[in-house]
Amino acid sequence: MDRLSIVLNEDKTAFAPRDTVQGTIEWNLEKNPRCLDLSLFWYTAGKGTRDVGVTENVRFEEPGSYGTKAFSFTLPDGPYSFSGKLISLIWAVELTCTPGSETVRREIVLSPTGHEVLLGEVPSEGRLPWSSNRAGGNPLESILGARR
Amino acid sequence: MRARDNPFAVERIHAIRYRPLHTTFAKILTRLDELNYRAALVGPDGSGKTTLLEDLQQALAEKGIGTRMVFVNDTAPLPEPACRQLLSETTRDEILLLDGADLIPRSCWSLVKRHTITHASGLIITAHRPGLLPTLIECTTTPSLLQAIASELQPPDRPIPAESLDTLFHRHQGNIRNCLRDLYDVCAQND
Repeated sequence: MDRLSIVLNEDKTAFAPRDTVQGTIEWNLEKNPRCLDLSLFWYTAGKGTRDVGVTENVRFEEPGSYGTKAFSFTLPDGPYSFSGKLISLIWAVELTCTPGSETVRREIVLSPTGHEVLLGEVPSEGRLPWSSNRAGGNPLESILGARR
Repeated sequence: MRARDNPFAVERIHAIRYRPLHTTFAKILTRLDELNYRAALVGPDGSGKTTLLEDLQQALAEKGIGTRMVFVNDTAPLPEPACRQLLSETTRDEILLLDGADLIPRSCWSLVKRHTITHASGLIITAHRPGLLPTLIECTTTPSLLQAIASELQPPDRPIPAESLDTLFHRHQGNIRNCLRDLYDVCAQND
């Protein structure tokens, strides 16, 4: 069975701007891949169209069916890892092999504090509307209706 | 709730593929072959046309058939110079997949339709109304379809009542995409 893995040094996943992400990739594949690609990138998740920014990419040509390689990436100043209600920005290191669909990804955090920045906390009742016990009417209807 | 944790985030929605209601994917592919790969996926907004077009692209790739996908919408129009460039780049061994064919200028459509007869392996389009090419499938939605999709995405410990989904479905006149966007907002407003 094909196997790709990314091991981060000291299992460190929180980084400050301009820190260095270091680790090792390992692969054990049934067939010799043409190449392996290791990328440092960020992407967005949430309601809108996904946006992606690749900051580093290293290609290992004809790497053989198994092996290990050390890597080192220097993080840029930003953007910081953050999450709001509409969008999250997530940093990751990803290893893919060609040909094939095998991919492995390790998420990391980039911020001055080492924690994902949380945006726009809005007070809420702390429960989903369709599970509420409010009497009368459709709870989802009331939420959707109030927004229009 | 963080956007990345929202069960109705776009990337999770995109993982849901087209579900034929009264046919099978294999039958759609057979019919497409019978139509010589010149056909239209017809249906209103949010009925799955683009999703099906992407699924067809994948299926064709697995059969070794090359494709070229173009998305046209209100924010990404296809003016005539871009249309001519697209056609000049399309090769005879490719099928042109044109999402939003009824949004391009009529003169461009005539050009695309004519050019791809001899300079491409096929032309598959999406459109809101029939008539541009032979209809491969009319994409439709039902409240049950919304319920099936929502049940895959929703928080397992707090399912959305079917009657709420029915209300949503009718509010959006069957536009599943808009229903899912509303469900995203509902989740985003609650933790």
